[in-house]
Amino acid sequence: MKILTVAEMAVREMLRRRAVLALLLAMPLAFYLVRRGDHVGQSIRFLLLGIAWAVSTASLFASGSSRPVEPRLRLSGYASHHLYLGRLAAMWLLGLVVAAPFFALVAIDHGDQVRIGAVALAMVFSVTVAAPFGLLIGALVPRELEGTLVLLVVVGLQMMIDPADSITRVTPFWSSREIGTYAVDHTGGEYLTRGLVHGLVFTILATALVALLSTARLRVRLRAATSA
Amino acid sequence: MDNDRWLWALGQEMARHQLTPDAVRHVVAEAAAHLRDSGQPALRAFGTPEGYAAAVAESLAARYGRPARPAPGRVRLSARGITKRYRRRTILRSVDLTVRAGEVAAVVGANGAGKSTFLRICAGLLAPDAGEVTLDGRLGYCPQDAGTYDFLLPDEQFVLIGAGRGLDRERSKQIGRAGAAALQWRPAAGVQTRHLSGGTRQKLNLVMASMGEPDVLLLDEPYQGFDRGTYLDFWQHVWRWRDEGRAVVVVTHLLSQLDQVDQVLDLTPATEGAAA
Repeated sequence: MKILTVAEMAVREMLRRRAVLALLLAMPLAFYLVRRGDHVGQSIRFLLLGIAWAVSTASLFASGSSRPVEPRLRLSGYASHHLYLGRLAAMWLLGLVVAAPFFALVAIDHGDQVRIGAVALAMVFSVTVAAPFGLLIGALVPRELEGTLVLLVVVGLQMMIDPADSITRVTPFWSSREIGTYAVDHTGGEYLTRGLVHGLVFTILATALVALLSTARLRVRLRAATSA
Repeated sequence: MDNDRWLWALGQEMARHQLTPDAVRHVVAEAAAHLRDSGQPALRAFGTPEGYAAAVAESLAARYGRPARPAPGRVRLSARGITKRYRRRTILRSVDLTVRAGEVAAVVGANGAGKSTFLRICAGLLAPDAGEVTLDGRLGYCPQDAGTYDFLLPDEQFVLIGAGRGLDRERSKQIGRAGAAALQWRPAAGVQTRHLSGGTRQKLNLVMASMGEPDVLLLDEPYQGFDRGTYLDFWQHVWRWRDEGRAVVVVTHLLSQLDQVDQVLDLTPATEGAAA
């Protein structure tokens, strides 16, 4: 109940930021369109990265806007996990809503050339990983400008790094790239498996770190009186 | 100001001075009779409603004394030996405060004296470098600012706080709106918090802090931006909470109400000591 209320209010707050919503949609669309003429695979891989960037940025800002309010909520009966899980659920929901029209776009544009189910899975994993990653950056770097720059560095690296280089495996959005490759290049199932495992592990790790940081930041340092 | 309006304002001001409804009715009726008989405008006969109400309140207090209050109850909040340093500067040095149920404590001090820091420590949001805070009961905390979401409606803020307190949506809205009405504010439908004036935002902040019937209320200068009437209403609330048996701690830099609180914690000497 408490988690759902936090999630509901986070979604309401985000939906009222019209400009943010427009940019959330514009960013992946721009990524998709800019490579559409080259190669189907590249445009879809860029689209996945665009979705991940948009969702992680939204999560970062949601984290920033709730930071000053959370201590009061903590004192009003919420536990730390109500707050970060509620926000995470809201960002996942919002991310899926953002991804849905792009899935329709790919299905119409290239539905006959790709494994469309795997494209959907890659989008789901983009969102799944991006939401806790954005919250994690928000928890580690409290100022929004610095957080945005960190995200820019991460996404820039992800774009420029040689896909054959093993260092790509430590980048946050490698999972959607692998699942995306499986979807557009019709590679073997090992790409899908690797992507799923990486995505799950990264999501769990990022969520665990968010939990750890939030719990530490929002711990209440009071001694309860013992009854006489 | 016509006489009817003046008499209405007099009634409001006297209520703010904690006079009983009977006393208010009696004084207003006497004033109305005098105005009727003399044919004078109220402002010329009695002066401003605020001034006349204050004079009446003072005179009644001198004659009958202040109304008896229930004795303070158990200790709700106890802060012992609180010391806080930021880098090499000592903000708080071995500060003690004990507040019982049915008591109001005012925390005063110059800017930078550590009033908000002390309140955050009392709320458990900040760890002291030394000392300990013990709490008995449920806490309500009103931060100085930034305690609300900009893009939510006041009703949604009530629902959010209410859910934490275990209240359902309708009950939360009901309690929130009643609290707002008591501060002479009626939240307009569809107006987001970011569009509220500074004073109205503080009213929202205060209503949120008092939801869920907390045993201890920590209020960090909650009246900023209030007009005079709302400021006086705020103190009415403080006294009502006290009379209901709550422990209230108010951070303030306004000294006008200090004679009506049970204890004053002045943090200024700690700062001077640190600066020496």
